[in-house]
Amino acid sequence: MESVVVARGLTKRYGALEAVRGVDFAVPPRTCFGFLGVNGAGKTTTMKMIYCRIARTSGDLFVLGMDAARQPKEIKRRIGVVVQETALDPELTSLENLVLYARFFGIGRTDAERRARELLGFIALEGKERSLIRDLSGGMKRRLMIARALVNDPELLILDEPTTGLDPQARLLVWEKLDRLRSEGKTLVLTSHYMEEAARLCERLVIMNEGLIVTEGAPNELIAQHAAHDVLEISGRDAAALESVTLDGVIHRRERHGDTLYLYNADNRALLRRFSELGMEPERHVARQATLEDVFLNLTGRELAE
Amino acid sequence: MRALLAFFQPNAWNVFRRNLLAWQKYAFSSLAINIVEPFAYFLALGFGLGAYLTLKGYGSLVQFMAPGFMGFTAMNTVTFDASWGSYERLNFNGVYESMVTAPVQPEEIAAGEYLWEAFRAVMYGLLFLGVIALFGLVHSWLALLCPIALALTGIMYAIPALWVAMLVKTQEHLFYYFSFVVTPTTMIAGVFFPLDRMPHWLQTIAWFTPLYHAVNVFRALVLGTLGWNNAIDVAWMLVSIVVLAVLPLRTLRGRLAN
Repeated sequence: MESVVVARGLTKRYGALEAVRGVDFAVPPRTCFGFLGVNGAGKTTTMKMIYCRIARTSGDLFVLGMDAARQPKEIKRRIGVVVQETALDPELTSLENLVLYARFFGIGRTDAERRARELLGFIALEGKERSLIRDLSGGMKRRLMIARALVNDPELLILDEPTTGLDPQARLLVWEKLDRLRSEGKTLVLTSHYMEEAARLCERLVIMNEGLIVTEGAPNELIAQHAAHDVLEISGRDAAALESVTLDGVIHRRERHGDTLYLYNADNRALLRRFSELGMEPERHVARQATLEDVFLNLTGRELAE
Repeated sequence: MRALLAFFQPNAWNVFRRNLLAWQKYAFSSLAINIVEPFAYFLALGFGLGAYLTLKGYGSLVQFMAPGFMGFTAMNTVTFDASWGSYERLNFNGVYESMVTAPVQPEEIAAGEYLWEAFRAVMYGLLFLGVIALFGLVHSWLALLCPIALALTGIMYAIPALWVAMLVKTQEHLFYYFSFVVTPTTMIAGVFFPLDRMPHWLQTIAWFTPLYHAVNVFRALVLGTLGWNNAIDVAWMLVSIVVLAVLPLRTLRGRLAN
């Protein structure tokens, strides 16, 4: 089946800065496709080129079979966009935000209003029709952004960091809605900092670093390839003591940065149990899941430069 | 040409609708503030100062200033809204950003803003006209044509205000425009006193001031003294609009292009 978005040798340059330095990717229809990377990796720039907000410098970019440079208006009509910064109109109510946005797509008043009410239901904001944006929580705003991106019933939905800054519950609710949309047959392209999010939502993803795509694959493949599932961070005295301990195969990789020892392993709880069995349970530690940053350390072999 | 056609695009009217919806939330306070303040000056100067003098050839000061203050009111409300408001719509809350993410063109945004400011000038101007009519200061049915002149005044003042808002780096810099351009030119626009005893060079500067022509027309409509010289005023307004309306659009396009 024909890809929904196709990029070949896509670049974007701002003066001397090359934000995107030649990327190739193809987004298959009816999938969730993720772009992972730290700030400045070129994810947002790539998204902006896809939704025709900025023009590419060179390369090819086709969205829904149309050249992004030639038919931006037609592309905009058929896609939905959730930009990174919440950009809801603070002087309008939730309902007015949606209705007005629908009208920008040439949808008549009655249809726009019906569609807006449907979408408020979809994102679980019924009863908030007349609320001003400032009275909504961060999670509600983000959901409203998603609803707004759906007013024109788009074939492709682009979401630039849809859950950044949300608390876990709000994030879960957004994930649930995105799952629903994908199961309804929409194609989703999203960017994220969170490996966990990508693993949960995306069938396929690319990791970007310094304007290039570093690797591409299914999330499980990538985590298995480039990082362990869990990370145990040990600091203080124990770090030195535990640095050379060997537990055959349980610790996949270890790294020391300053006073902190990072142990990459499959299951933190199992690892901590082993330590306590050995009577060397670390006093000060943080047990967490492996994140994009950890994959990064593996992929680039160095620390993150923010 | 495309900029002109934008006025007929549905999305220009949707931009207009956006501003109307926003305005409705604070309509009462906005109308009250924008009428009470100029009206206080009008009363103080017209009846207070006016009690001590009459203007040779123009009658009472209050009669002279009534149509002038109508233009002043329209200009003030448009200047503030088009500059302060559009600066926020561009820089703070992503209103324009959201529009161009949807299939709205920059020229439709500019056209929508002009339509809105024209409407705003008509609303506030007519409210002032109503008040001076109650004071018995309107003497001709020609005053019914005021909405047209008010709409032109609105667009005429929306152009520089919008342009400055698209250019400045911080919102506070808008005060340069208010203090160094709007206020001084308002003083010599024939709102407060006639210009025919002023030095020739000052009259020349006044001729290049938009409000001067608007006030000439308002005075002629309110007093029923419309003549061919007012045709020049109207032509001045129309030409300046057609020639200058593209300036803010160009800057807006640039700001939205990065």
